[in-house]
Amino acid sequence: MLTSPQVTSPPDRRPGRNAGLLSGVRVADFCWMGVGAIATAILADYGAEVIRIEDREHLDLPRRLPYYKRAEGEFARAAGEEMTKADPDKGGLFNNFNRNKLGVTINMREPDGVALAERLIGACNVVTENFAPGVMERWGLTYERLQQLCPEVIFARMSGYGHTGPHAHFKAFGPVVQAVSGLTHISGLPGQEPSGWGLSYMDKQGAFYNAAALLAAILNRNRTGRGSEIDVAAVEAGINLLGPILLDVDVNGRRTRTPDYPLGNRIEHPAAGPHGVYPCVGEDRWIAISIFTDREWRGLCAVMRRPDLASDPRFASPELRAGAQDELDVIVGAWTADQDRHDLMRRLQGAGVPAGAVQTAEDINEHDPQLATRGVFFELDHPVIGEARFEAVPIRFSRTEQRNWRSAPLLGEDNPYVFKELLGVPDDEYDDLAQRGVI
Amino acid sequence: MTSQTAPAGAPPLQGLRVVELAETVAGEFEGRLLAELGAEVLKVERPGGSPTRAVGPFVQGRPDPDASLNFWYYNSNKLSVILDYADPARHAELDALLAAADILIWTFQPGEARALGLSPEAISARHPRLIIAAVTAFGLSGPWADYSSSELVAMALGGPLFSCGYDDHSIPPIMPGGPQSSHCATSFAHVGVMLALIERDKTGQGQIVDVSMHDATAMNIENANPYWFYPRAPVYRQTCRHAQPKATEASHFLCADGGYVYYTLVLSEQRAWKALVAWMDSKDLAAHLTDPKFLNLDERQKHYGEIHSMLECFFLLIDTQDACREGQEAGLPIGAINAPEDLFDDPHLRARGFFQSVETPGVGAVRYPGPIYRFSAFATQPRAPAPALGADQPILSALLEGKATPAQGRF
Repeated sequence: MLTSPQVTSPPDRRPGRNAGLLSGVRVADFCWMGVGAIATAILADYGAEVIRIEDREHLDLPRRLPYYKRAEGEFARAAGEEMTKADPDKGGLFNNFNRNKLGVTINMREPDGVALAERLIGACNVVTENFAPGVMERWGLTYERLQQLCPEVIFARMSGYGHTGPHAHFKAFGPVVQAVSGLTHISGLPGQEPSGWGLSYMDKQGAFYNAAALLAAILNRNRTGRGSEIDVAAVEAGINLLGPILLDVDVNGRRTRTPDYPLGNRIEHPAAGPHGVYPCVGEDRWIAISIFTDREWRGLCAVMRRPDLASDPRFASPELRAGAQDELDVIVGAWTADQDRHDLMRRLQGAGVPAGAVQTAEDINEHDPQLATRGVFFELDHPVIGEARFEAVPIRFSRTEQRNWRSAPLLGEDNPYVFKELLGVPDDEYDDLAQRGVI
Repeated sequence: MTSQTAPAGAPPLQGLRVVELAETVAGEFEGRLLAELGAEVLKVERPGGSPTRAVGPFVQGRPDPDASLNFWYYNSNKLSVILDYADPARHAELDALLAAADILIWTFQPGEARALGLSPEAISARHPRLIIAAVTAFGLSGPWADYSSSELVAMALGGPLFSCGYDDHSIPPIMPGGPQSSHCATSFAHVGVMLALIERDKTGQGQIVDVSMHDATAMNIENANPYWFYPRAPVYRQTCRHAQPKATEASHFLCADGGYVYYTLVLSEQRAWKALVAWMDSKDLAAHLTDPKFLNLDERQKHYGEIHSMLECFFLLIDTQDACREGQEAGLPIGAINAPEDLFDDPHLRARGFFQSVETPGVGAVRYPGPIYRFSAFATQPRAPAPALGADQPILSALLEGKATPAQGRF
């Protein structure tokens, strides 16, 4: 059992007057893990008062995963290697996902905890969750109950499979969603085991569409006064992201369990070639090149100083080049192999050729002049972690502002503000709740 | 929805008009999403049609601007009119259309816009209530704003590509399937337009919402960013599972019928361990894993490789869908690595009525994915086929004469 003390925020971390586009939106946020927390972070970034409700005995996984700053010589851990007795306030992943939010703790196994949560919901106007179906119901927190507590409530439910249907109770996380929706199968070299995704794409995409759905419901409520229940199934979002291959299968009877599918780094439509990822100087360093038009092809040949290729009738159209990709890949790969990927990219782009270095996280964070200009990262201080970097919402508005006022809450950091100031819980009752482990 | 009553309200964007000057998937997908939320989306195309109409796959391989499945997928529920906006003599008409619009979807990089004689900043100045969703390769600003891109190039430059591929690093990183760089940009365009609509309802002011594939893919690399922010550790790609700072065991397992399941063996949870052993034991395949010594986590960790190998053998003896159903019933997060053709008959998706069958002239019923989200307060627009090029041309003159209202659209 974790016995974090009831912390008190230093003055510069205390919630101030609510400002920003979404001021007036107050969220009782039961979300956890990645997909839920990333969605509600977008609301928080634009001024909603998002109150994360956490359980001291079942810590949010991102609080426990080993995304720590490390001392010289220390090894980074794989995400599966969580530390036992990890400091819940040290986890970088939690910090990234929960900036600009408030944090409270409630023990929902205690009837007084559920009663307190209901009081909190009554003071909010949005409720969010991404538990397995049935958890909110176990606490009695159905949409009908929430409407009694808050008549115009928006209740956003995010799950792998959605809240109806025979698999509603199935468990899912990002990679499982990617597998079930088909996104994994369509990724890989032809006829080989899938390479799939090296990341939880659907935790991100699922979160962004959850955020859009919440905003659509808020827009609707602003106009009509009506709340809504929202059901987002990540698998259904994933299927939407398959793209036109889905119609090719349905309309043309295309089959994808065949030796010529998936396509690796090539594409079928439109005709293109060379279209691939080629080696550069350095260990595991690569450049991506996509040639579609004859102009781009002539540009590539000019940078390669190969007028013979430019005039070769075997490569004289996109269709011919697409058919000759095996040969072209060998020629291009031999040429790129002793070149610097960024220098080569600049020269190719100078000739109008779509080309891009295969960038690492270090590249995009430290050396990418475009992202630096666009400002997709920001920094905030944190009492335990110190100065840290965050992923912004990468939208440049000419008017609306992202407000980054605080890093992620410490465990239970805003209990005093939310319970005493917002809900008006008297001091003696508050102390009693703390003593009994309800908060 | 957990409640079964049909939503009563009109979708929230009903009454709003979108002018779509989009020549890319990223912009067209955003138009489709707005149409599903009730907006009237007027797709304005140059003579010859949007370049996306020339991209396959095509119905029965027939290269026809009205038979592109690529175009169908992203342009359902829209109206199509032809207006040569590359001709400065037609810019007054375009301007009149924009005067009657709430949202403009725009996909031109700065150099392309200059060549067209158009600029989002100038349009915004003339139409201060207009929300301009600019969805481009690199954004409207910055040193790379006019770089050329593609789905592959954007995946490479933004960072997701470096995390995707095979254990064997002599094989280059492999691009995930589908136009995902475009999809990344669309997801932020959609969030941005929703925020801009809320802003406009409050202040009466429109604005430019500037999103790019490059910014968007860089914010879709998931764990690679926090691994850089905190331990400053690079992550390395692995076959069909998360890129990590150090190697981990495989998470995809071959099954008896040749399909795969995705399952990550996590030993730290006692309940999941017991469920796994009980499941294996129910088929007499748990062997010595039933030994009580494995109830100890340290003992399990010590034998991780051996347990993983036993699991590989176990899955080789079960069919894919059985493995998923039985595993999930045991409480384990297992998923089939489905192919697109597996999805239409999925009993869960059928029960939820997910796929929408759309009667399409000359083709018959075409199954589209249903909406990404469901609301109890309103229904999203049912899918209607993408428009033939110029199918709604009379609306253009009606609009220019100030006569048409959104209700006069085809829906």
